[in-house]
Amino acid sequence: MSEAISSPQVTPRESPNKTPSDNARTEMRNYSAFDQELTHRALNVRMLLRLLKWAKPYKLTLITSSILITLVSALSVLMPIVQSRVVIDTVLVPVESPASFQDFRVVDAFEWLRDLTEWHPLLIAAAMYLTIFVVTSLMSIAQQLTLTSGALKTLRDLRVDLFTSLEHKPASFYDHVGVGRVMTRITNDVENLFNLITSFVQHTGDFVPFIFVLIICFTFDFELTLVGMMIIPLAAVATITFRWIMREIFRLIRDSVSQLNQYMQEDLMGIEVVQLSGREDYNISEYRKLNQENRRQEFRAINWEVIYEAFNTSLTSFASAAVLWFGGGKVVQEEISLGMLYLFMEFLNRMIAPIMGLGYFFNVLFRSMASGERIFQALDWDERIHEPENPVQLPERLRGSVEFRNLNFSYPGSEQILKNVSFSIEPGEKLAIVGATGSGKSTIIRLLARSYDFDDNMIFIDDIDVNQIGTNDLRQRIGVVLQDFHIFSGTILDNIALSNPNVSRERAIWAARLVNAHRFIEALPNGYETELAERGHNLSQGQQQLLAFARVLADDPEILVLDEATSSIDTGTELVIQEALHNLTIGRTSIIIAHRLQTIQECDRVLVLHQGEVRELGTHEELLDRKGIYYTLHQLQFQDSATASELTADPDELEAERRKRWVEMNPDSEPPTFGNDSMGGTGFIGGPAGSGTRPTGV
Amino acid sequence: MRSGGFSGGSGGYSSGRWGGTVGGRINRERSSFKHLGYLTKLFPYIAKYKWILVICIAAILCHRGLMAYMPQFMKVALNDLADPNVVPETYKQAIGLLVTTIVSIIVYVPARRALRRLSISITYDLRQRFFSHVQFQGPSFFNKFGTGDLMSRAVNDINMVRMAVSFGWVNLMVFVFTVFASLAFMLSMSPKLTLAVIIPLPFVGLVGFLMARGIYPYYRERQEALADVTSFTQENLNGIRTIQAMAQEEHEIERFKESSTSYIKKFYRATRYQTFMNVYINALTTISPVIILVYGGLLVLNNEIKIGDFTAFSVYLTMLVGQVSSIGFSLSMFVAAAAGTSRIFEILESDPEVTDDANTAVPQTIRGRLEFKDLTYRYPETGIDTLSNINITLEAGKTVALLGRIGSGKSTVLKAAVRMIDTPRNHVFLDGHDICDYSVKQLREVISLVPQHAFLFSATVKENITYDDPKRDEEEVMRAASSAGLEEALKDLAQGLDTMVGERGITLSGGQKQRATLARGLIRESEILLLDDCFSSVDTRTEELIIDGLHQMRAGKSTLLISHRVSTARHADYIYVLDAGGIIEAGTHDELLARDGYYANLEKVQSNQEQSAQEKEKLLEQLNPESPSNDTQATASTT
Repeated sequence: MSEAISSPQVTPRESPNKTPSDNARTEMRNYSAFDQELTHRALNVRMLLRLLKWAKPYKLTLITSSILITLVSALSVLMPIVQSRVVIDTVLVPVESPASFQDFRVVDAFEWLRDLTEWHPLLIAAAMYLTIFVVTSLMSIAQQLTLTSGALKTLRDLRVDLFTSLEHKPASFYDHVGVGRVMTRITNDVENLFNLITSFVQHTGDFVPFIFVLIICFTFDFELTLVGMMIIPLAAVATITFRWIMREIFRLIRDSVSQLNQYMQEDLMGIEVVQLSGREDYNISEYRKLNQENRRQEFRAINWEVIYEAFNTSLTSFASAAVLWFGGGKVVQEEISLGMLYLFMEFLNRMIAPIMGLGYFFNVLFRSMASGERIFQALDWDERIHEPENPVQLPERLRGSVEFRNLNFSYPGSEQILKNVSFSIEPGEKLAIVGATGSGKSTIIRLLARSYDFDDNMIFIDDIDVNQIGTNDLRQRIGVVLQDFHIFSGTILDNIALSNPNVSRERAIWAARLVNAHRFIEALPNGYETELAERGHNLSQGQQQLLAFARVLADDPEILVLDEATSSIDTGTELVIQEALHNLTIGRTSIIIAHRLQTIQECDRVLVLHQGEVRELGTHEELLDRKGIYYTLHQLQFQDSATASELTADPDELEAERRKRWVEMNPDSEPPTFGNDSMGGTGFIGGPAGSGTRPTGV
Repeated sequence: MRSGGFSGGSGGYSSGRWGGTVGGRINRERSSFKHLGYLTKLFPYIAKYKWILVICIAAILCHRGLMAYMPQFMKVALNDLADPNVVPETYKQAIGLLVTTIVSIIVYVPARRALRRLSISITYDLRQRFFSHVQFQGPSFFNKFGTGDLMSRAVNDINMVRMAVSFGWVNLMVFVFTVFASLAFMLSMSPKLTLAVIIPLPFVGLVGFLMARGIYPYYRERQEALADVTSFTQENLNGIRTIQAMAQEEHEIERFKESSTSYIKKFYRATRYQTFMNVYINALTTISPVIILVYGGLLVLNNEIKIGDFTAFSVYLTMLVGQVSSIGFSLSMFVAAAAGTSRIFEILESDPEVTDDANTAVPQTIRGRLEFKDLTYRYPETGIDTLSNINITLEAGKTVALLGRIGSGKSTVLKAAVRMIDTPRNHVFLDGHDICDYSVKQLREVISLVPQHAFLFSATVKENITYDDPKRDEEEVMRAASSAGLEEALKDLAQGLDTMVGERGITLSGGQKQRATLARGLIRESEILLLDDCFSSVDTRTEELIIDGLHQMRAGKSTLLISHRVSTARHADYIYVLDAGGIIEAGTHDELLARDGYYANLEKVQSNQEQSAQEKEKLLEQLNPESPSNDTQATASTT
């Protein structure tokens, strides 16, 4: 949906209609772009214009705000005019005013009011003063609120678009680019752009009166204006130079602060190791070095700041002195009035502020340039999983056969990881994949879920090329439990329903029961509503695993893909997990990367992967008999195990046990037939009626 | 899987991982005046610089005095210009103005610089002391203060203190002085007008202060909403693979939209409050100029004051109003700094749990005999003993294994040996001497503990392995790495030992991390090595390799290891099985097998014999009497 917003301006896009075979799927990308510090970039007008696109829906609000700020600034100039021209020149020390002087007819208005009301002239002046104040205040409230609301909404949209684009970046992207790298783009960088918009409008607000004042001054006395204004170029040059120097120093300060913080954070996170290694004193002295560097930079910054402050103050007072001297002479010669001299000195003070503010604005501007570039870099990064042009409409329920046909695959820029892999799985069959680390096991399951792109006609589900299936559709049919499955913060129920937000509570509980998670969940203080910490820190590893199983089961995928956790947990928990795994795979086409002998035994066939090639495929017993790679692996990994014949459990006994358990967990429903060999049938175990139906057409 | 000890910090890892916002959601007490007393704690830090401080303050006050005198020049000039009886000599006033400015700058610049350097130096001192102090804290400290919390104190609170030192109280002094100086000049010109003009000012200060305080909840809400957006995004991206595998991107985008919309709402509310606050204050401060306009104007018309006095009043008023309206901000900053100070000193004043008490002479050469005698230990604030009456002996040069369920107290035993928890005296002995008699440094040198949680620093593999002593040479590193079974993994890394790992480097797999931390422990070749379940993430084959490596590297040295696997434990000379803090079985592998107890059952289950479901169930029952709720219990006892 929001892709429509972000895509049109994407720069180097692949042509959409090119054939999948000549795709850039194995293209090497330069991910280091994401690590670069983008702080030295010049003004990028194109980028600013691009930003306007997000402001478009709120253009009315933002334009209103801009008009208001112009009005507010113009009106605020009137207040000192009332003070000087009306009160001093007309009431207190009456003089004839030079006709050329533009005072926006404030004096005329005053005269008119005086004739109309016959109040004391000072009261009228006060009334005028207050009126201007009230009007400007009201307008300035409206201005600030419209500005904030427009800018916030603009950036909310930008933020959502950025998030959307990140959400659709494929696994290959996240393999290379750390989460932290893109994270700050959503948070800090978008905030920086907000500061840019608001400070831009605020500084326009400062500069509008500056221009007004300048015009007024010039029309009223050219020479005096020149005398007063001569400091302005000086102040401007000083400000720009100062900001230029400070930009570098500030960057160094920021760097040193972040190094300090990173060092401390790492030290705290690894404090146990620090203390066990006796590194405390060493780390303190390392930290001291960073701390000293930070202090050195801060000192440098202060030297410049103090000089700049002093320079500006002296400039202002130098100008005041000059105007007083020169203007005083003009008053004596009656070229200007006393009120004008006063007004002039007032204005002088008003002019120096926007110039100093200009320096600050440049600061914001350059910082947001870098931020904007980082944001657009992420938005424009066009890396996505190829979507078929006319995706195949999948039937309501897949049979669940999977076929790999001469699959070759390599990750961009590395050696070929899978070579000519061919095998097929019948619906409902369970296949165990074994192999050493790096043999390509995980790649196989990643490809099946299309986490990476690969050529057409290599993987088929129900004889349909997976590249012809929409990724979303495909992924909903395949339940994947990764080894690093992620438990999210939120309730247990949320986590189970993650696979499909339409999963009902009953359905979730049903799934939890089936994978043995129900009992531990019930025992938690708030049951299914228990809030989990991020990454499930408040659950044990075994509990997390069961939860991940329940999550997959709740959505009832036709095909299950599972990367078994390698870490050893205590034996009791392991048995519970084994049983859950069994229940999970019943009647479901399953591909399991197995690390435990028992898991392998549960499977119908075993595929041995060695250096990216399928070396052996057959039942556990067959492969053992063959005395090939599997036999060796088996000997190495499970040397204490008994021989093959002893390993197989009595199927009848197993069946009985499982039926018993089913009744325990689902007292209201008839236990289905389990069995290890339910090939061919859908074998799906229905949950409570109607609760688990998938929304169609997603 | 976490048991006691350091795990408390892990919950906070996530916060502050990315630059800017540190410790997003630490709930802070609202700052108030009652904190002000804490500022006295800063005195020792400031006292160092007290003479600089006195001179600086004198200089700054002098500067303010000169600033307050400046409008007088303009007053005289305007009065002279308006008076037809005087010949105006405005150049005199102009020169006066210039000279005063130059003098005030000469006084001000060095003082300001010194004062700001001082605030930086104080920050530096505080930070250094904070870091140093934290290094020596024990586990219960880190359980109480998570990483995020500590970072937030070190960053945000120290910054706040810095603001207060650098501006806060100088502002307050300048405020008082400026008010008095301006009032003095105003009074000298016209007491009547002065009185009339200052009436609204106390209200300005009061409203300013109240509103500055009132905005606090709005800002906090805004910050919290931002923290929500941040943590949502972070979690989402960390779990992006899971989300994509479940095809839930659209759903997540919707949730993100909600979250960021809620943030901009909070943001808008805070801005609205601020906008109105500014208007109220402006309205109040506009009253005084109007009074000058009307009442001052009348006084000029009545010839009670001159036109120059009239304009000078406006200038002084601007000066006063500026001070008064910023006093609210200064005060609230001060109060916040006081609260920050209290949070910093909460850390700085907590004593290390483990202290050296090494008065007794202890041998410098350690043979490596470790003995636990009737050790009973209870974590503070828990109701049950984690360890009760533990008697374990590790003879010099031998290997001993500890087995047992999660939460049975195995890790605690190891922690007691290196005093990561402080056990009472006379229960743990190293070569016959109480471990409390050794200095902590020596103790941890001769006993290396490789903790369960495999933590790698953002540094190269080599730097991680040589963490205890960065000067070790490559040969040593390679020896340790190959003993730890890391050699193979190193070959896959592009830069080998010099590959950056950890948070800012490449991510190693769980098994690789574990082997790297094992190498870190092995390289020290200390007399006693304690391994806390260091093979859990490596497969059985690799484990065999590592155990071979261990045998070679640890020949003649003592090793105490925790494992879940019988296949690991069987290599030990002696095995202890722990349950609920006590030892339930002890013996050699063969002895324990013969006993047909927990160990023997475990062996059966793990070797997959007699796999019928009923048998399995039975074994399960025996291993975990309350099997299904076992997990829950384990969690409860560790969190």
